[in-house]
Amino acid sequence: MLVFAASDKGGTGRSVTSCNVAFHLAQRHDVAYLDFDFGSPTAGAIFDITRAERGIEQEGMHSYFTDGLADPRRLDVWTSTSRPDLRGANIRAGRLTFFPGEIGGAEFGMTDERVDRCAELLTQLDHEYEVVLVDLSAGRSTALHMALAATALSKMRSVTCRWLVFHRWTRQHIVAAHGLVYGKHGILEVGKISGHDQKDLQEDIRFVRVAVPLLKEHNPAQSAPQATWLLAYDDELRKLAVDRRLGQSRVLGTTPVEPILQYREQLITESDVAAKIANATTIKGFRSLADRLVDDEVWEGA
Amino acid sequence: MRIQPRRQILDIWRSVVRSSFRDGTWEWRGREESNSISDAEQLLCLLYPATEIEELALDRPDEMAEDVTKTLEKLGEPKMIPQRIIEILEDYLRRYTTDGEPDFGGKGYLSAESGEPTDEQLRLGLVASYSLSVSLCLAALGFLKVYKPPQKRGDKWGDRIKKLQAELNRRLTASMVGLLRSFAVNPIDTGVDDAEVRAAMLAMVNQSNESHRVVVAKLRERLARQRTRLMEDATLSVSDEMVDKLDEDTTLFEIGWAWGIVNGATAVNFVADVEPAKGGFEREPEICSTPGFAAARPYLFTTVLALDGINDIRSTRTQELDLLNEEQRRLSDALALRYELTQRYWSIIARFSDPWPLEDIPWRTSDGEESDYYSLMVSAVLVQDLEGRRADDDDLDRAVTVFESLAQRGRITRRVTKDDASVALHVPGQRMRLEGSAKLGPELLWHASDFAPLLLKRCLQAAALSTRRGSRDRLMDLAETTMDHMITRRIEVSEASGLWDDPGEILFPYDTRPAEKLPSWYMTERVVEALVTASRTFRKEPLRSTAIRARAEEVLHEADQLLNQLLLTSDSDDTSARSVQLTEIERKISRANEILIDRPATANALGQSALRGLDELAVAQDNASRGV
Repeated sequence: MLVFAASDKGGTGRSVTSCNVAFHLAQRHDVAYLDFDFGSPTAGAIFDITRAERGIEQEGMHSYFTDGLADPRRLDVWTSTSRPDLRGANIRAGRLTFFPGEIGGAEFGMTDERVDRCAELLTQLDHEYEVVLVDLSAGRSTALHMALAATALSKMRSVTCRWLVFHRWTRQHIVAAHGLVYGKHGILEVGKISGHDQKDLQEDIRFVRVAVPLLKEHNPAQSAPQATWLLAYDDELRKLAVDRRLGQSRVLGTTPVEPILQYREQLITESDVAAKIANATTIKGFRSLADRLVDDEVWEGA
Repeated sequence: MRIQPRRQILDIWRSVVRSSFRDGTWEWRGREESNSISDAEQLLCLLYPATEIEELALDRPDEMAEDVTKTLEKLGEPKMIPQRIIEILEDYLRRYTTDGEPDFGGKGYLSAESGEPTDEQLRLGLVASYSLSVSLCLAALGFLKVYKPPQKRGDKWGDRIKKLQAELNRRLTASMVGLLRSFAVNPIDTGVDDAEVRAAMLAMVNQSNESHRVVVAKLRERLARQRTRLMEDATLSVSDEMVDKLDEDTTLFEIGWAWGIVNGATAVNFVADVEPAKGGFEREPEICSTPGFAAARPYLFTTVLALDGINDIRSTRTQELDLLNEEQRRLSDALALRYELTQRYWSIIARFSDPWPLEDIPWRTSDGEESDYYSLMVSAVLVQDLEGRRADDDDLDRAVTVFESLAQRGRITRRVTKDDASVALHVPGQRMRLEGSAKLGPELLWHASDFAPLLLKRCLQAAALSTRRGSRDRLMDLAETTMDHMITRRIEVSEASGLWDDPGEILFPYDTRPAEKLPSWYMTERVVEALVTASRTFRKEPLRSTAIRARAEEVLHEADQLLNQLLLTSDSDDTSARSVQLTEIERKISRANEILIDRPATANALGQSALRGLDELAVAQDNASRGV
């Protein structure tokens, strides 16, 4: 199964959420993580892979598309990460392979040849892995267009594709996410031009609400009017989301605000929770995203 | 305990789902053997609040509140919940349709004094079932009208929903026909046969000890309109023989609903001109002409049930969602006419003399049976009449007193004593003989055990109508006490915990009764109904007192004037704490003026707070100007 992670705006938590979801999926499945954020490849830092913190020097995703490199570099996260609690001892069922981007790589244009190479890579990885997670960059990027064009090719018709659109829980983000999917040059429009059935494509899209405050939890710093305002505004946002076709039935999941992630983008593990550094609800959110991502029932008609 | 419909209904929902939904399937399981009434009650526990309370709606998954989705987690994620409900509705209709004919049997709810009820008796249609069916079908049809199924590849829900709607419509039509044919007019003449009935009736209405001749004449006069209508309106299909009887000067009469289709009831021969796909019947359903067995005598409990059901048909929701088809609209008109007549009849009888017959508790029915339950039923009709604004606040005040004595007598506001006979009102409940049922076996009995939840519902309903604070407070107090009573009757153990009814603790304090483990849907549904009524009552704006408004106006006048003075003496460039406080005071005064009409007490409080702030400044000012 291919999963594409997109967002309209930067800073939505798309990469950090995707990495965490990949991490949880890899407890039970073989997972590949592809960094298609060509302009700013940072997933290596999230996995704590020191030598690929901001991408690798060569033989990364860029070279695959621009230099005709046959096999882009693969890093096994379990062995390359510098986080001790992720390494070695833990026995896991699945592989987690990271396909890094390159330092100093830049966005490049889209050609038929690149679309073809993209399709080739995705098809091959789809055979090798149970879940292939592709982190596209923000906005209407080349990566997004290329992914839409590649998956529209008839040779990829039998491959299951799922699209995730990440947005934060604010008015502007909701409007932007709506635009990215339904708006001009949005996923649906571009998808249609690329040859997708628009209706089918729409059914394969789900939204992920990132860093949504848990308003109903006790917060001693909050006054009653403030809480009232927040709850009432939250309701308004919910209505806006329904109105913009981002309603609950099209939502894959929600992640709460996690203080750690506001400072450092990283994987949140059980040991962070055990150390009382991270919130348990954060892991719960990621785990539920991972579960629902591979639950077919969730993807049946919205 | 404060009544909190949202929270309490969600608590009930959680228990309903836990006890009914297991391993992905809905189980029709309650204390009594499953039947068309009990199963409808079980389903209505979920569906009734969902269709009556906006915040608990289940028909738009995207807009479901979070606490709702969490409560119903077991049914699946939000978008699955409506689909589950559709499956349950389909299952219900499958169970209670035989050869295309809707089934209205009472099975486990029926018993007999001697011997076992026969199969034929257990299948007999009952007004209780017709009325509940009306509510269920309307709730379900409304739900389906709003619900938009997912637009899927290979759409199956659209067709399923259409089929379900057609079946629900057929059931709705059939239950309306059932109600129509269960309407009874009972003329009481001076013959020997009616002597006892007549005596009982006169004794009940004649509270001021007038001669029978005078009472009969007065009754005739007060009920003249109803009588004329009965005699003249052809659509009521009153027989010629009956018209002659009613025409006699000395004849009294009773109207309302019998327990089932009346013996000799005229067939309903409406033309089945609605297509089957739209909920019409292919051939005329049996219920239109099936022979009736019920004695042509109104029962108070079925009359109230029927009125409640017809209320749902006449509701604004039914109209707004345009739920009725042509055939049903015709039936609805016919039922509305009977509703009006019955409502007026009982409202007049209840208040016939001074003191009111209703105030003479317990009410005695014309067949000589006495019970507090009947008093509650008559009060229910009276409250309903109040809703039509044909009774006034003085009437309501008196009804409140009746409710209060019923609560005492029913051991809700008084404790149970040893060997207390009043307990029988709750357990096993008021016993009613279904007269006429003996033609098919032993005479059937029905036990109405819903005294407490009905009292709760009627108090809440009356509270919404009252425009006097005193009686509204009394009603709310009584409702809360009754809710406390109900809370102690919740089942505590087993999967059904949180549902009703386990009356051991409060009604049988001197006995050792085993804890109940199976839910009574009969009782649980009544509690849910009461909570839905509460939610309607709470939506009303608080009563506005003119006295507090006058006071608020005085307060605001003074505050306004003092503020003007202070502003006059304040440096216009001042940005110190003083100016902050002045701004704050000004804001309070303008807010108070905004809400003065709707919330005078709040306006008063704001005005007071502004005055206090102003005085702080004044005291400081005075202190300083004492001199340097």
